[in-house]
Amino acid sequence: MSQPLGIDSVEASDAELVRRVRTGDIGAYSTLVARYRNRLGRYAVHMLGDREDAEEALQDSFVRAYRSLDRCDDPARFGAWLYGILVNRCRTSGARAARRRRMFVRDADALNGATHADQADRVEWSDTVNRALARLAPEYREAFLLKHVEDLEYDAMARLTGAGVSALKMRVKRAREQLQRFLKEAEHV
Amino acid sequence: MILTVLLLMTQVAVQDPRLERLDPETRSLVVSVVDSARAAGLPSEPLIQRALEGVTKGAQGPRIVAAVRRLATDLGTARGALGSGATAPELEAGVAALRAGAGPQVLTQLREARRPPLTMALAVLADLVTSGVPVDSASAIVLAFAPTARDADLVEFRRAVERDISLGAPPGAAASVRALNTGIRSTTDAAVPPGQPPRPPSRP
Amino acid sequence: MFDRDDELVDRVVRQLRQPVSIDPALDDRVMAEIAADPAPRATSRPRFALRPWPWLAAAAVLGAIIIARPWTRGADNSGSNAFQFVLVAPQASSVALVGDFNDWDPARSPMRTAQGVWATTVPLAPGRYRYAFLVNGVEWRADPGAPDAHDDEFGTPSSVITVGGNGS
Repeated sequence: MSQPLGIDSVEASDAELVRRVRTGDIGAYSTLVARYRNRLGRYAVHMLGDREDAEEALQDSFVRAYRSLDRCDDPARFGAWLYGILVNRCRTSGARAARRRRMFVRDADALNGATHADQADRVEWSDTVNRALARLAPEYREAFLLKHVEDLEYDAMARLTGAGVSALKMRVKRAREQLQRFLKEAEHV
Repeated sequence: MILTVLLLMTQVAVQDPRLERLDPETRSLVVSVVDSARAAGLPSEPLIQRALEGVTKGAQGPRIVAAVRRLATDLGTARGALGSGATAPELEAGVAALRAGAGPQVLTQLREARRPPLTMALAVLADLVTSGVPVDSASAIVLAFAPTARDADLVEFRRAVERDISLGAPPGAAASVRALNTGIRSTTDAAVPPGQPPRPPSRP
Repeated sequence: MFDRDDELVDRVVRQLRQPVSIDPALDDRVMAEIAADPAPRATSRPRFALRPWPWLAAAAVLGAIIIARPWTRGADNSGSNAFQFVLVAPQASSVALVGDFNDWDPARSPMRTAQGVWATTVPLAPGRYRYAFLVNGVEWRADPGAPDAHDDEFGTPSSVITVGGNGS
């Protein structure tokens, strides 16, 4: 009895999948997309403040990564390389969003379902955090997310952003200071 | 020398990595059918594809072997009717026509009536019968078309007939009416070619 | 009230580190965009494609009706041409095209979907090819608009496409 064919093993490594794509197995790329969709999505959503913008940035980044796959020097580190593409893509989108002066959109479902006080509090808190994040200058927000949410080392951040390590440390520091100020202001509303 | 060639051909079939999808017992049976076919000058690719189809569809080994054997036999019959110069696509289409019920003599008449490749004419014949047109009517119509119609005309004819059938026309009537509208005389008349149809260059 | 500034920022970080769920439909949109131009080698200056989602969906729906169905291209083809295979299956989570042209291997011709219309394009040399769609990895479907492969000996439906032209 034959096995289902063409089903990628869940355990196939990034390097193996990249290799397959490079030999023409386009379908293998969809496994990579599924693997990184949420992780990259987290950064994009927080950086851009809008889910639709984030999905568009994600889609563009995945496609761009596919089209320039031959320039991924180390397939074992495909994720980090893909990350750099996303970070760059979010800078473009961020500029557009800033021009539209878009506010962070509340998660309507979460609000509608918030029948308990603690749930409402959670949504409220999430909202507060998002608004504070939105008020940061883009380069501060980028540095803060990369350092504290995505857990990158400063060396890796420098490679991704093209900024120097000391400049990045300063941006993270400024981001923290500003967030504290914004959050305290929010308390007193 | 012949033995070496035969052994070489055997090795080629055994080494086709696609057949590794088969379990060992089925694989060796399929390989022997493929090798025999190849030795008889028949194309092996249709046989391999039939085996792969069976594997993908989860068929049991014996069923796969039977299907491959049946196809090899039918390819041989088609080749007998179409001549040794027939290409693999022509043979495959010929098998479809045979399995639709056309006799080998229809294939031979087609070969005499039409310039190669015969693939599309044979395919249209098979597809018409699949749609429900009686095999004698379908054969007569395709043979009547054979000397002059382009492949595209044949395909258009088949599409038109299928459209009529989908709108409720009885298949045989649909085909006859369409044939008449295309300038073919009635199907019974069309069975007797008028005078000398143009003879295509003889096949090697 | 927050006693220490660091604690405040830590709370922010904890909030932001929570997992985010992106709609898995993104995968399909990515693959559809790739399938529209599958050559993986980049030009020297990769460009951002315009977001194709709206027109791709419209084109796919139109394609199901208008695009020349493969079996109509019977005549005068030399060499190989690309043929599009389409299946409307809004409930499916995966559809694979399998047939004599790809060794009946579901991984070879993945189909991508826009609003329930699944499509892929395959180059075909002259010949006669049996094929079928494998839906969700388990259900076999023939192509509703194509001739049936009458000789179906494995108990599942298949279709046929014949490509004309001079075979070797």
